[in-house]
Amino acid sequence: MDLNYTPEDIAFRKQVRTWLEQNLPAKDIANLEERRAWHRKLCDAGYLGMGWPKEYGGGGARPMEQAIVADEMARANAPAPTNGLGLGIVGPTIVVHGTDAQKKRYLRKILSAEELWCQLYSEPNAGSDLASLKTSAVDAGDHFVVNGQKIWTSGGAIADWGLLLARTDTKVPKHKGISCFLMNMRQPGVDVRPLKQITGSSEFCEVFMTNARVEKSDQIGRLGEGWAIAQTTLGYERGGRALARITTYSSQFSRLVEAARRLRRHGRPLLDNPVVRQKLGRIWSEIEVERYQALRTLTLLERGEHPGASGSITKLSYSEFEKRFMELALEILGPYGQLSGNSPDDFKLDIDTGVGERGGWAYAYLWSRAGTIYAGSSEIQKNVIGERILGLPKETRADRTGGKA
Amino acid sequence: MNFSFSDDQVLLRNSVRAALDEQCKAAHVRQMFDDAKGYGETLWSEMAKLGWLGLPFPEEQGGAGLGLVELGIVLEEMGRAAYPGPFFATVVLGGLGIELGGNAAQKDKWLPAISAGTARATAALLEADLDWDPASTTTTATRDGQGWTLSGIKRFVPWAHVADVALVPARSPEGLSLFLVDPKAAGVTLTPMVGIDLANRWSEMRLDKVAGGPDAVLGAPGSAGPLLDSLLRRAAVMSSAEMLGAARRCLDMSVGYVKVREQFGQPVGSFQAIRHRCAEMLLEAENAHAAVYYAAWALSAGAEDAAMASSICKAYVSDAARKVCGDAIQVHGGIGFTWEYDLHLYMKRAKALEPLYGDAEFHRELIVRHLASAR
Repeated sequence: MDLNYTPEDIAFRKQVRTWLEQNLPAKDIANLEERRAWHRKLCDAGYLGMGWPKEYGGGGARPMEQAIVADEMARANAPAPTNGLGLGIVGPTIVVHGTDAQKKRYLRKILSAEELWCQLYSEPNAGSDLASLKTSAVDAGDHFVVNGQKIWTSGGAIADWGLLLARTDTKVPKHKGISCFLMNMRQPGVDVRPLKQITGSSEFCEVFMTNARVEKSDQIGRLGEGWAIAQTTLGYERGGRALARITTYSSQFSRLVEAARRLRRHGRPLLDNPVVRQKLGRIWSEIEVERYQALRTLTLLERGEHPGASGSITKLSYSEFEKRFMELALEILGPYGQLSGNSPDDFKLDIDTGVGERGGWAYAYLWSRAGTIYAGSSEIQKNVIGERILGLPKETRADRTGGKA
Repeated sequence: MNFSFSDDQVLLRNSVRAALDEQCKAAHVRQMFDDAKGYGETLWSEMAKLGWLGLPFPEEQGGAGLGLVELGIVLEEMGRAAYPGPFFATVVLGGLGIELGGNAAQKDKWLPAISAGTARATAALLEADLDWDPASTTTTATRDGQGWTLSGIKRFVPWAHVADVALVPARSPEGLSLFLVDPKAAGVTLTPMVGIDLANRWSEMRLDKVAGGPDAVLGAPGSAGPLLDSLLRRAAVMSSAEMLGAARRCLDMSVGYVKVREQFGQPVGSFQAIRHRCAEMLLEAENAHAAVYYAAWALSAGAEDAAMASSICKAYVSDAARKVCGDAIQVHGGIGFTWEYDLHLYMKRAKALEPLYGDAEFHRELIVRHLASAR
C-alpha cells in the first residue's frame, strides 16, 4: 500500500495543468460550434479517447492518466467536451463488440466529434425494468425497420447517431429477444423532442421512431445479444471521472465554507455555529472517503482488473452522498441557494451545464436528484449489490416464474 | 499509487484470522466474561510468539518494525473476533505512547518486554468530564525532590487491572506532562467499571499522592500536548480498525443468516427490504475500510493530511459501525436479540469503542478546525 502518486503521474499532471492554463477558452462556451472547437482542441492534445486502442485514434493511456486529465479539467473548471456518450459508451461498445468495418467507419468520427452520439435505451414503460423494452426492429431483407419510443435520451437533440436497443424476437424470454444497433438519427422516421426537466433545461429528449431504417451492416453483435452487450457497456465508465468528481465536490465545498463564513446568525458567523460545523464536518468526511474509494478503484483499474459489480457500490455511494451534500448547501445558503441567476459573488457557483446557460447552486441541487435515478436507480444498485456481491437469493418475480404480474 | 494490501499484508491478515478463528472462538470470548483477569495467558504467549505484540516496534527493541497498516490489519481481525484481552491497551496505548515519547532507557525497558509478552501496558487518557482534549487534564504532578507526586482521578482506563505500566497525563509546574505509573504502586486504587462489552475491561484509576522517580516522566516535562495528540490519532485510527472488524463480522453473519432464514415460504434475503439493508451495510463497511487504511497509511507515511485523515476515519467509522451492527440485529430479528446468539459480542465491541478516543462529534469539530484554518 502506497498512496503517493508516482513521479511520472505527478509530471503528467503538471503537463496537463500547464496545457489547460494555456488553452482554456477565454470566455464561456456559447454554442455547439464553440464546444466542438474546444472538443477538437482536447482531442488534438490527446486528452480524449485516451484509453482507446491507438489504431483507432486512441491514446492507449493508463486509467490513472485518464483520471488525471479529467481531474485537472475539474480543477480548472474547464468546459466538458461534447459527445460524452460517444466517448464514454458508444465508442467502447464498438471497440469491444463491433466489426472491423464498424470500427473504421465510426470510431475516429466519435473522437473528433464530427458525429455526435446518443444512447437509445430507456422507454416510457421500460426504466428500471429495461429488458421489458418494446421498440421493435423488424428484418426487412436488406435492412431493419424500427418502431417505438425512447426517453431520457441525453443529447438526443444534437445527436447524429444513436446506439439502439430494440426487440427483434418476441417469442423468447424478454432478456433474449433484444438486439443492439447503430441508428442514423438524421432520417425522416426519427423525431426528437426535448424534454424539459425540473432544472428548467433540456439535457434529455424523447425520441419517436416511425418506420425508421437501420442498415444490416449497423447491427452490433449477433441478434438477441443486445441485453448482454448493454450489460457490458454499463461498466465502461471505468472510474475515468473518479477523481474529477471529488475535485468538483471539494471546490464546491470550499465555496460553501466561505459562504458560511460570510453569513451570520444571531450576530455571529454561521461558520461558528456548532450545529453547522457538525454538518460541514460530516460532509467533508464523506467527500474524503469518496476520494479514498476513488483511489481504490483506480488501483484496480491500473492492475487491469474490472471493478464489476462493485461499481454499483461506488455509484450508490456518491449519488446518495451528492443529495446529502446539496441539501446541506441549500440549508446553509438559504434563499441564496435558490437563485437561478444574478447571485452575489460570495454565494455563487459556476457550473458548465453543457446545454446553454451556466448553472448555480440551485441547478446543482436539482441535478443531484437525477444521480440516484439514471444509469440504474439506487434501488437497482442495491439489488445488484445484494445479488451479485453478497450472493443473496433473487426475489420471486412474475416475469421470471411466468406467474401473474 | 497503490491502495491495496501487499502480498505480505494479505498473508498477515490470513494468518491472524486463522489463529483467532482457532484460538479465539466465541466460546473463548464468553469464557473470559467471568474470568478474573479477563484474558487468556495461552493466547497472549501465542501472540508474542507470532510477533503481534511487537509488530509496530523497531527490531532493536524486539519488534517487527512494521507500520500502522499492518497493525490495523491485526486490530481489524481482533474486532472481528471480539478478542478479549489487553492487546490494544498494551500495543497501541502503552507501546506506541512509549515509542513516540520515551527516551532510550524507557524504550529499552518497556518495548522489548511488551514485544516478548512479559509486560502489559495502558494509558489513562480520560477523566470524569470525558474531554479527549489533553488540555482538559486536571490530574496534578508536583515535584518531590528529584521525583514526582501524582494525584487525580482517571476513568475508563482499559485493562489497568492487568497492566504493568500506565501512561498518565498530569499537569506539572512545567505544563502538561506524561508519566509512567505502576498501577500496583501505593496510592493507586483501581475500581472496575463494567460496560456492555464484557470482553473488554475498564477501571477507574484513583491516584492519591502516588510517588514516581525522576525517570517517571515521558519526554520533557510540559511537552506532552503534541505527544498526546499523536497518540490520540493513532488510538482513533486503530480503534476504528477494530470497529471495522466487528462490523464486518456482523455483516457476514447477517448475510449468512438471511440466506437461510425463511418466512413467507422463501429466504428473507430475497426480500428487497432485507437485501437493500444488507447492500447499505456493505457500502458502509467498504467506505469504513477505505477510511481506516487511508488514515493508517497517512499516519505511517507522515502524510500532510494525516491528522485530518485520522479524524475523518474515527468520525466516519464510528457512525458506520453503529449502523452496520445495529442493522445486523434488525435483519436477524428476534434471534439477534438473544444472549445465546453471538452477534451481540461484536456489536458490543463496536459500541464500546464508538465513544473512545474521540467520538464522531469530537472529530468532526477537529475536521472543521482544520478546514477553517486551511483557508
